[in-house]
Formats: sequence, structure tokens, C-alpha cells
Amino acid sequence: MCGCGEPRWAWGRCAPSPMLLLSLLLSAAPFGLLGEETRQVSLEVIPGWLGSPQNLLHIRAVGTNSTLHYVWSSLGPPAVLLVATNTPHSSLVVNWSCLLSPEPDEGLMVLPKDSIQFSSALVFTRLFEFDSTNVSDVAAKFPGKPYPPYPLAEFSWNNITDSLDPATLSATFRGHPMHDPTNAFANGSLAFRVQAFSGSGRPIQPPRLLHTADTCQLEVALCGASPRGNRSLFGLEVATLSQGPDCPSVQEQLSIDDEYTPAVFQLDQLLWDALPSGFMQWRPVAFSQKQRGRESALPCQVSPLHPTLEYPLPQSPIVRAFFGSQTNFCAFNLTFGASTGPGYWDHYYFSWSMLLGVGSPPVDTLSALVLGIMAVALGAPGLMLLGGGLILLLRHKRYSEYQPIN
Amino acid sequence: MEEEDEAARALLADGPGVLPALCDPSRLAHRLLVLALMCFLGFGSYFCYDNPAALQIQIQRDMQVNTTKFMLLYAWYSWPNVVLCFFGGFLIDRVFGIRWGTIIFSCFVCIGQVVFALGGIFNAFWLMEFGRFIFGTGGESLAVAQNTYAVSWFKGKELNLVFGLQLSMARIGSTVNMNLMGWLYSKVEASLGSAGHTTLGVTLMIGGITCILSLICALALAYLDRRAERILHKEQGKTGEVIKLSDVKDFSLPLWLVFVICVGYYVAVFPFIGLGKVFFMEKFKFSSQAASAINSVVYVISAPMAPVFGFLVDKTGKNIVWVLCAVATTLVSHMMLAFTLWNPWIAMCLMGVSYSLLACALWPMVAYVVPEHQLGTAYGFMQSIQNLGLAIVSIIAGVILDTRGYLFLEVFFIACVSVSLLSVVLLYLVNRARGGNLNYSAKQREEIKLSHTE
Repeated sequence: MCGCGEPRWAWGRCAPSPMLLLSLLLSAAPFGLLGEETRQVSLEVIPGWLGSPQNLLHIRAVGTNSTLHYVWSSLGPPAVLLVATNTPHSSLVVNWSCLLSPEPDEGLMVLPKDSIQFSSALVFTRLFEFDSTNVSDVAAKFPGKPYPPYPLAEFSWNNITDSLDPATLSATFRGHPMHDPTNAFANGSLAFRVQAFSGSGRPIQPPRLLHTADTCQLEVALCGASPRGNRSLFGLEVATLSQGPDCPSVQEQLSIDDEYTPAVFQLDQLLWDALPSGFMQWRPVAFSQKQRGRESALPCQVSPLHPTLEYPLPQSPIVRAFFGSQTNFCAFNLTFGASTGPGYWDHYYFSWSMLLGVGSPPVDTLSALVLGIMAVALGAPGLMLLGGGLILLLRHKRYSEYQPIN
Repeated sequence: MEEEDEAARALLADGPGVLPALCDPSRLAHRLLVLALMCFLGFGSYFCYDNPAALQIQIQRDMQVNTTKFMLLYAWYSWPNVVLCFFGGFLIDRVFGIRWGTIIFSCFVCIGQVVFALGGIFNAFWLMEFGRFIFGTGGESLAVAQNTYAVSWFKGKELNLVFGLQLSMARIGSTVNMNLMGWLYSKVEASLGSAGHTTLGVTLMIGGITCILSLICALALAYLDRRAERILHKEQGKTGEVIKLSDVKDFSLPLWLVFVICVGYYVAVFPFIGLGKVFFMEKFKFSSQAASAINSVVYVISAPMAPVFGFLVDKTGKNIVWVLCAVATTLVSHMMLAFTLWNPWIAMCLMGVSYSLLACALWPMVAYVVPEHQLGTAYGFMQSIQNLGLAIVSIIAGVILDTRGYLFLEVFFIACVSVSLLSVVLLYLVNRARGGNLNYSAKQREEIKLSHTE
């Protein structure tokens, strides 16, 4: 298995460790005065074989001495490959005839192979729907009686070339089931909006995850599909590669800072290795309106990762092509919403965002405004006491000089 | 009425043994009955004041309003009191008299709560806001009336104890509300079959029963007070407040600083409690019941601690130092809530203790910095700008929470407390520089009093 090497490329300046610490601190700082890494990002739709449109989006992010490749595709279930290389000159090679064959091994490669420092993949396999009407306990882990899930491998997807926007570095995969006997998706669609970044920053809309040039954002939105019950909750099954015998685990970090995502004090992360190698990061919140705010916030539950040996997962040709057939997968479920409060049923809409990236996950720090207010709030009374005390002391001294006259 | 009085007089004439002590206005037992009525007179309004805090989740969900709109429920309570704090005393003394005044204010409280509940039943948030406005019109003035009754019945006897008990009862009302309303909502939900604005309205309507109880107390008090007047030839109670708005221009710098301390402090406590329940559920993952309990702990602590601190401050003097301690402790507790994930019980207990201490040390300071004839105006003004501050900050707090979250909201509250702290420091310095009397120890005060009388 590739990708277990030292993630030296991520701190490509190859600086000594104190400098590395400093650059870590600075890149995490809100000002980003120094050490802010930018990348030349290009989005390219790889043209299909024999003119037939196949959705294969290649995001190439070139830094000074590393290149990140994100390959998004809706061949089979929607999936993404992320590959980090330690050269600015690595490239993606696609052999369509191989990729579209039943044995797609080696149909998709990043060359040169020895430059690959890390690689992994995510596959979005199924869209779940649950009936939450009889779930009384809001905190219950069990979302409700499941309806038959929608396998995303059996969706038909739009041509992403139409939605490619080089200005925002984004593209959208929009799909609906190929066989839809109940016409649930007659006016609806499931969208995967992918966005890359050339530098660090935050989007305007919550959850406002801090992104860097090393990351890529995915926004999943279900819009307009008729639910099968009055109080339907939706969920997503995500599969990923397990790089050892055990599945990676989801870290649920509590934080004090909810400035960018009001009232959400948790940050969930999936780290593929103990070493900072690759991560998936999200806030456990989804939104039931396009105008995202607190009143439309849905809680987002995540299940532990479990190996998928018991049941066959739909194969993603690009993952198979890159990693070969000898791979183990782990899967986990995300569930959006609860039986009470706002839900998909309000506006037939939900959206959820996550970051996918290489290196250490971005760390939130207190904003400059908060730090500024705190400095003034604590400093002013202290300074006043100090200054006033001094003045009083001096006055007292002057008085005492006149004292002998009395 | 005449006949009743005749009967009462006839009863009294028969000798003290015949009339039960409970019905004899000159006896302690009767005064205790009156005291119980006085305590329950305020219970309803304090119970219902924090109804929104206890049902924040339900209100926001059922009425589909964001936090900004939710906090308007508190703002609408405060707006009328910006003006009424000046006129409450005037209305009681000159217009209605204490008895009718109390009944009228109780009616306002009742009607306000009913309109508030109807707003829920008819799914009209503007009606709920209007209900809170009516409720506010009665609420604060009712507290003034309650104090006037206490003075009229207990002056020269057990007055301080009575004030203490009334305050404790008010806090108990708030505490019971915090811990009861959520449960009540779930019971109503179970019997109506579903949650929704109707459930909310019915729950609030049931909560309004406490206001009806208070109204009954007001009627009973009016009857007993009138009866006592006939029997004992007692005068009708008066607030004795003389409000002269022109006095404002004579207010000294220390008094203005006391106002700033008051506003800066209270706006960081009451709106916080208004939003507290959901904060403890979201940040500290408390259950609904545990969040209610911790959110009411400030009230729970202040019920027994207020008399204790009152005694302490009386015995030691040094009011500015006590105020400084209280404000600094509150600052620390807000910082703990903002920047740590420590068990919030620590921070909330600290806040409860400092809140009780502040109330005991701050309010008496006004009496040291204004001449007695301006005292009414000064207190009226202090309450008025406190209400103005509460109204404005409630709105700001809601907006901040919706757009920037709890951390920023806490930082905003910290800034408010810090303004208060800055004013305390300034007050200390000004007092020191001018040789003021604010920070005298109790002993110094005693000496000055003696030298004046000599």
C-alpha cells in the first residue's frame, strides 16, 4: 500500500523543527502573515472515451514542491481519490478503455509513482431514508425505521462540464435515480458540489469551515425529492479505504469556539493515519434551508466506522483502478436531523459540508475581533486602576509635603 | 362593606378573646397572614417573567422564530418600564391609591400573560410580544406596590425581614418556573397528542394561573388593608416617592458611575439567564432538566444569600470594595463559561454569589451620594436606565447569538461587565480623590453619624 511514507511534502520548505512549529502556528493564525501556502489550482474535466461524456473531474493543486490531485467521479457511486505527491510535476494518466472495463485495475494512475506520499479515497455509496415519527427520544442514536436506501451507483448524473466554474474553482455533480418508480425525484436531485481553493479562508455561509490550499470542500445537498414519510430523516453512507487491519476512527473534538458555526461546539474529523497524512473534517450540523442559520440547523450524527466485509459495497471504478482489487473498505453513516425541530420536511431541502484534505487538519483559533475585545475589556480596568493609583499616590505625596505647616 | 365593618367592630368590642388572632389586624398572626399574601402577590409576575427562558426551545420551534425575535419578548417587557419606573410611585400615591393600584397592576400582569398565551394558541408572535408589553406594564409597578404594602404594614417592626422574604419569594417564583415549565409543556404535549403552537399557548395559559393567584392576593390584601384602616384608623400606604426629573441635572459623578455599574452588570446577568438554558444544552450537553436547574441556580443562591450579604455589608461598610469583588467575580465566571469547558456549575454558583453580593452592596450606595429628597428620583432613574439597558441588550444579544454564536455573546457580556468594572475602579478613584464617604467602614460611618448628632 502506498502513502505510508513520511509526509515531508506537506511542509515542503523542509525547515528545521522549530521553524516548522512556527510555520504551523502562523498558518493557523487568523492573520496568516507568513507561511500562508498558496497553490496553483486547475480544474479539468477529463474528456470521455470515444466522445461519450463521462464525469471525471481532475483538480490539480500545484505548490512549490508538491502537487495534490483530487479526482472526483460519478462513474459508479460518487467517489473521490486524493493523492499527494512530492513533486510539482506529477500528473494524472487515465486509460479509459481499461477504466470502463470490468477489471479497471491500473486504468488510472498518478505518475511518477514513487512521488506519491499519500493516497486515499472516499466513496459515497447510499442515500438512506428513515421514518422518525415514532422516535420520541431526541438524543436517540437510532434514527428510526429505515426505508429501502437509494444506491448512488444507480443514479444518473448530469454532465459536470456545464457546472464547471473556473472562477470559484467549483463543479457540481447533480443526479437522480435511474429507476424511480415512485417518482420521488421527479422534481428533486441530489447534488455534490465540489470546490477547491488556492489559499486559505472561510466561506460566507455556515458552517464556515476554515479551508487551506491543501483542502477541497464538498457540499452535499438534497433538494426537492419527495420524502416517503411525514418525518423522514436522510443519511449518507460513506466508505473509505482502511490502511491497516483496523478502521480509522472519527474524532469528535469539543471546542469552545462557535463563532463561525453558531451553537455548534463540536468538530468531527476522520484521520487516515496517526501521522498527519489526510483528513476529512466537518461540523456535526446540516441545514434545512438554503439560507443557512441557527433556526435551520439540523444535528448530524455519525456512526463508528465498521469494516464492510459482511456485505458487498458497490465498486467505484476509479478507486479500483487506482488501488487495485486487494483493498479493504470501512464504512460509516451520517444521519442528518432529528425527529423534532427543523427537518428536511420543512422545505424539502438539506445541505451538509465537509472538507477533505492532506496534511494536518486546519485548526480554528479565536478570531482577531474576540481577542481584541478581550484585550480591551481586561486591559482597560487594569490600566485605569494602575494609572489612577499612581496619580493618587503622587497627589498624596504632594499633600504630605505641605503637612509640616499644619 | 359598611355592614362588614360594623360586624368587625362588634366582634372587636366583644373582647380580644372572642376574635381569633388571625382576624385581628393588631395581632402578629394577622400580620403574618398579610405577609403571606404579600409574598404571593409577587409570585405570579416573577414566575411568568422568565417563562420565555424556561421554554426557549419550544417557543423558537413552535413559533418558528430566531433568537433575535425570541429576545424581543424580554425587550418588550423592559420598554414600558423605562418610563413607568418614574411614574409607578406617582400612580400609587396620587392616582389609584395603593389598593386599587395593586389590583390594577395585577390585572395588567394577568391580562398580559393571557394575551401572551393567546399569541401562542393563535400562532401570532406579534400577539405574544404585545402580551409581554402589557405584562411589563404591570410587572415592575407591582413590585413597587408590594414594597409599599410592606412598609405600610411592617414599618418599625419586621420590615427588613419582610423585604428579605419578599425577595426570596420572588427568586423562588423564578426558580419554580425554570424547573416546572418544561415539564408542564411535555405533559400538555402528551395530553394534546402533539407539540406545536397550541401546546405552547395552553402551557403558558396554565402558567398564567399563578398570575390569577396573585390577583386574588391583591384583592384579599385590598380588603384586609381597608378593613385594617377602618378598625385601626391606619393610613393608606404611600410610596412617598417624589420624582423630580429636573433633579437629574444635579446628579453627581459618583451617582452616574453607580448607574453605569448597575446597567453594565445587570445586562450581563439577566439576558444571559434568558438565553442560558439552551447554552448549557448546546455547549455542555446538559439534559433539558439539568439545564433548567443550572440556569436557575443564580436565583436559588440569591434567595438565602441576599440577607446574609446584606448583614455582612451592613456590618463592614466598604461598599465599593464589595461591589468591586462582586463585579470581578462575575467577570471571572463569565470568562469561565466562555473560554473553558469546565463544569459550568462552578461558574454559575460564583455568579449567583456575586449577584447576591452586588445587590446588597450597590443599591444602598445611592443613598450615600444623593440628598434624601432626591432619593426617589435617583432610584427611579436607576431602574429606568437599567430597563433601558436590558431592552437594548436583549435585542443585541439575540442578534449576536444568531450571527456569531455563544462564544462571541459571552465575550459581549464580558465587555459589559468590564464596563461595569471600569466604572467601579473609576468610582473608587473619584471617591478617594474627593474624600467621599462611599468606602467608609461601618465604624467610620458610626463615628460620622455621632459627630453630626453632637
